[in-house]
Amino acid sequence: MTGSLAARRSAVAMFAAALSLLALAHMQAAFADAETGRRKAETCVACHGPGGNSKNPAVPTLSGQPQQFIVTQLFMFREGKRKDAQMSPFAANLSNADLNDLAAYFSAQPHAPPAQVTAPEKAAAGRRIAEQHNCVACHAGNLMGQQHIPRLAGQQAEYLRTQLRGFKASTRFDMDGNMTSAAQALTDADIDILADYLAGLGAP
Amino acid sequence: MQTTLHPFAPHLTGRPAKDLPISTLKVPAGFHVEVWIDGVPEARSLALGDKGTVFVSNRNLSNVYAIVDKNGKREVKTILKGMNTPNGVAFLKGTLYVAERNRITAYAGIEDRLDNPPEARVVVDNLDPDKAPGHFWKFLAAGPDGKLYFNIGSPQNITMPNYTQASITRVDPKTGTLETYVQGVRNTTGFDWHPQTKQLWFGEHQRDWLSDDTPEDKLNVATKMGQNFGFPYCHQGDLLDPVYGKNRSCAEFTPPALKIGAHTAPMGMRFYTGNMFPAAYKNNIFLARHGSWNRSIKQGYDVIRVVVDAKGKAKSEPFLTGFLTDEKGDPPMWGRPADVLVMKDGALLVSDDYNGIIYRISYKK
Repeated sequence: MTGSLAARRSAVAMFAAALSLLALAHMQAAFADAETGRRKAETCVACHGPGGNSKNPAVPTLSGQPQQFIVTQLFMFREGKRKDAQMSPFAANLSNADLNDLAAYFSAQPHAPPAQVTAPEKAAAGRRIAEQHNCVACHAGNLMGQQHIPRLAGQQAEYLRTQLRGFKASTRFDMDGNMTSAAQALTDADIDILADYLAGLGAP
Repeated sequence: MQTTLHPFAPHLTGRPAKDLPISTLKVPAGFHVEVWIDGVPEARSLALGDKGTVFVSNRNLSNVYAIVDKNGKREVKTILKGMNTPNGVAFLKGTLYVAERNRITAYAGIEDRLDNPPEARVVVDNLDPDKAPGHFWKFLAAGPDGKLYFNIGSPQNITMPNYTQASITRVDPKTGTLETYVQGVRNTTGFDWHPQTKQLWFGEHQRDWLSDDTPEDKLNVATKMGQNFGFPYCHQGDLLDPVYGKNRSCAEFTPPALKIGAHTAPMGMRFYTGNMFPAAYKNNIFLARHGSWNRSIKQGYDVIRVVVDAKGKAKSEPFLTGFLTDEKGDPPMWGRPADVLVMKDGALLVSDDYNGIIYRISYKK
């Protein structure tokens, strides 16, 4: 093979590689795109706050949540397995692409420092309950969430209380039953303490 | 030290195959693995219709899909909607049967009317009176006796089951009459009958939180009705439970045909009855292992080949691997095999519920 032919071939190969990289980037954009998600999220932020940082204790913060968690919950709202008077109608008409785009957007938004200030002795009691029930096994170190499992650190207190009570009563949708099982061991007082502790918990 | 082990969940919208490292999948020499179809969210149990329709179930969603293959062009049709954990699908004499968590329904002549499916005929209802969390999803298969077999799992990791639970139960599709077939089965999510002996072989998920290496999950064979496989007293055939095993003996129970690795999660399995693969594969078992979560070093996430000799002795070897990329990673894998299906041409389909993809494995000399 002559040098110039080899060079031309390698140039062609590089061009092809660049094209396929472009194509890959394009395909991934088609699967889940944060910028498209930002535009689609304009309705969401009315309740969930700018960038998904909720100011309402009953409405969850979405910023910084794992992408797969957001997709999973939106999916279950859409399918009617998880139900909420406010949320269900919004989810009802979302396409799979919408779910993936919204999740890509909200998961990439910075999570604002928690507004809630929990008294140190209350926070310590909450930390003990969280350790006793091994919340980190699924919710990950510092309770930051992972994969399909939500971030709890800095989540809104009233929202957490409602979810935990729902799990305990077996009325909150639960894919594999883990939270329903875990919540059976919590007293109502435990739930209150946990919710306050988690709501005041910042990123490490 | 606190554990960090946790279950994994599928990507419920599915993930496009073109975004995944499909080319890193490995099969033995002469075999070829390719994507048969993607975009089938949480593709789980597979059943083959007489006219070639592939029926696909799922565990967390509410639809049943039919995939029609016309000259290599495949189309996914949603044929049933609004179902309650429709994990089990079986096809028998022109009728599709679906096992939801609470009931089994029948759809006669469905292959001729996929766009306009018949109303459900209820075969049996009230299979889940407690509605409790646990192993409530059901695998379904039609036996050589024309009856439908399904699991009623143990309600928790380790607990004393009630009379109906931790069993394989069968129902006569004509009358709805139920019979407990075998007991002491913590949970099975895949079984098939040996083409020659007609005996029922089934995978069994063993308990969690004892250790990384025990108990091993099992491949069992039921040589007669009424056998007990040990749960909750005895695990892996030779390990008494620290609580429930007190004052019991493993000798009371039917031992497994093969131990297949701790926490590897045996899912769908089929005897290979096709003519495409080499003759040595005839009547071998292909078994999908969903992969371990309750283990610090992950294993499974593959399809194994199990060879059963004339004396009924079984041994296994890897067949489809490559999903497990980092045994200490979280997640450790990019896909999870859930079921296998032998096609009419002898190729093997493998469903991957994590991504909503079905792969096809073929063989050429």
